[in-house]
Amino acid sequence: MVDFPLTIDALVFAAFAPILGVIAFWFLQLFTIEFQKRLLSQLRHHHEAFCRFTNYIGILFQALSQALGYTVTRSGISSFQVTVNYEKVEPKKEKEGVFEWVAQSFLLFGPFFIPAGLVLLLSYFVVGRGFVYPTLLQYTFVESLTGFLTSLSTFATEFGGFLITLDLFNPLHVGFVCVLLFFGLGIRPSYIGQERKEKIDILRDLIHIKDHLIEKPLYIAVIILILYLFYLFSLFFNPGVYIGLFVLFGWMSLTAIIAILLTVPLLLLIWATDLIQPRWKIVPFLSIPVSYIVARVFLLYQPMNRVEQVSLLVMLFSTFLVTIALIKYKRTNRFKTAIKMKHVRVADGKKGTSKK
Amino acid sequence: MVKKELLKNEQIERVLSPHPLSFMKLQTLCIFVIVWGVVAWWLTEYSEYAGLFSGNEWYPLILWGLVMLLVGVIASLVAIQWLIFFLYLGVFLGGAGLVFWQHWESSIPLFIFIYSIAVAIVGFLIVELYRRSHKYVVTNLRIIFKGGILTKRERTIRYDKIADIDAKQGILGQIFGFGTIIPVSQSGFGLGSDKTMAAGGVEVGGTKARLFGFAGGGREVQTPIARSYYELHGVYPYKDVKLLVEDLVQSHVPTQYQREQVEFQKQQVDIQTQMRDLLHKQVGGKPRKRVTQQPVDDEEEEPEEEEAAQKVSRRKIIAPAAPVEEAFEPEQVDIQQQMKELLKKQKVARVNPPEDEEVEEEEGEEESEEGEEGKEDGK
Repeated sequence: MVDFPLTIDALVFAAFAPILGVIAFWFLQLFTIEFQKRLLSQLRHHHEAFCRFTNYIGILFQALSQALGYTVTRSGISSFQVTVNYEKVEPKKEKEGVFEWVAQSFLLFGPFFIPAGLVLLLSYFVVGRGFVYPTLLQYTFVESLTGFLTSLSTFATEFGGFLITLDLFNPLHVGFVCVLLFFGLGIRPSYIGQERKEKIDILRDLIHIKDHLIEKPLYIAVIILILYLFYLFSLFFNPGVYIGLFVLFGWMSLTAIIAILLTVPLLLLIWATDLIQPRWKIVPFLSIPVSYIVARVFLLYQPMNRVEQVSLLVMLFSTFLVTIALIKYKRTNRFKTAIKMKHVRVADGKKGTSKK
Repeated sequence: MVKKELLKNEQIERVLSPHPLSFMKLQTLCIFVIVWGVVAWWLTEYSEYAGLFSGNEWYPLILWGLVMLLVGVIASLVAIQWLIFFLYLGVFLGGAGLVFWQHWESSIPLFIFIYSIAVAIVGFLIVELYRRSHKYVVTNLRIIFKGGILTKRERTIRYDKIADIDAKQGILGQIFGFGTIIPVSQSGFGLGSDKTMAAGGVEVGGTKARLFGFAGGGREVQTPIARSYYELHGVYPYKDVKLLVEDLVQSHVPTQYQREQVEFQKQQVDIQTQMRDLLHKQVGGKPRKRVTQQPVDDEEEEPEEEEAAQKVSRRKIIAPAAPVEEAFEPEQVDIQQQMKELLKKQKVARVNPPEDEEVEEEEGEEESEEGEEGKEDGK
């Protein structure tokens, strides 16, 4: 049993510190998601298939979250359908009250945390040392928040360390990066829309969540009460357990943010290649593996420290330079029409081509 | 397609071929060979577990082969196609034979890496060649399926012989916009049977032996299935092609066509009967009885009414010349107006006739009749 001071800070405020931390990171996650969605909507015009692919991943996780919600609430699943444009999960039994609310919560919050949780699980095998739970010295609001943030910063440092020492000659590392990119494209609750002009703002998701929470204030009060009782209970043993619960969600948010940010260079590269002539478009993508392999082979004969980091830097810089050079010297025709000319029907009713 | 191969009045609507990603199942086999080759090379040469394989120089090759064969067995069971297993067995035996023949025992991990990539590239090329050997021609009369690398195959199906259309679009198809359309003929071409866990079931003396007591030799289900040469496999753009084929099939369905024809002809007969009645009225003759069916109860009452009307008209005809003109003028105008309306009705009916050549022919005939009627009207 641990001694703790009977102050209002220890008994009340310290309990809310990790909750605030989770909310803050979740908002940060929302902003990165929004940024990614905007980038994707910019690409939509030329990369319809790519956007459909990212939609599919998002919808798949959304459907999985919904199905998990129905499973947890013992509603059962009568139909499960996931397509590129929509998902349909129906329960066997239509439950009401708290069960319905919990199932709905899974649908709304699941897409933010379930894919991120899966990546977190995988990252345990790659970034094992980063998973450190906080130990509190004092029972105060600031100390709880500091403990929460320390755990997250340790995890972020280890994760970042792994990313900058990435060995692309190691199949495990390559596999993990692929998983990160794959999940990173789909960690979002709503897809960017089948139609190009559909609104993709962050508010839509937030309004849904707000409505859901306001709908049943009693349930929220009960959840807060349970969490508070758990905090009070943990005070007698180890308050780190209580904070650890929220640290887990913090790690998930952080993993999601990292995964989403990793996809940004890829999306920017795709966007940049749209400015290059079609026959040269492939070159920036080819320069990624080629420059890395060349750098690694070169450093095999010229041994030096930090081979992996240097090779990664060479890869990034060479890809960047190649893309810039191609945009400058092999830029595509800027006077393009919105509709492809080969699809335009000419006056005689036959399909005309740009060559004609 | 050569124009000589087309039938009379046949026009090509679309020439299609499978999408490059539509044979992903076959390409996945090649991708696996590459991925596993690279992993096996890294595992036996550079990983922390490399020491486990240093006992014997053949260990890496054995590991590589065993995993590949295991995957081959699983894939064969799932796809119910033992060819996958034998394909991987061939790759493994080929590799082992090459090492044994060339005495490359000392560098087996590197050999696995290079050999896997080489085999996969050859595999990709074969798949691409196979894909390019497909050609589908959608014409206004039929669908022609052509293909074959060494043996040339061709299937032709007329739209009126298509009983059912099966269409499917996988995840990749949904993303890239391609899909497969199987036209099932009335004779059942395009239908096949699917057995649940068929590969796991073995028949022993007429009874089905089951794997672990539950799997194997399950129920046989009839399902639309065809070789890629006999279906519109992975065609792009899927939605447009599907709509086109469905439209063409619909326009060739005989019952629908007949129904439209009967309806059209009924309308025409009705209009012409009314026209004749009016003409008779105009020249002062006895109006012809309508052919339309009427309830039995009305039949007894109508003749009396008709006779009364006829009597009235006869009286009017018998009347002196000068008053006749005064008496008939408004009626003549009325008849002419009615005839004009009927002609308009007839024209409207001909604007959207059933879309078929035979209808057009009939229209030609009717137009000549109309011309004659018009002349009569003019008179």
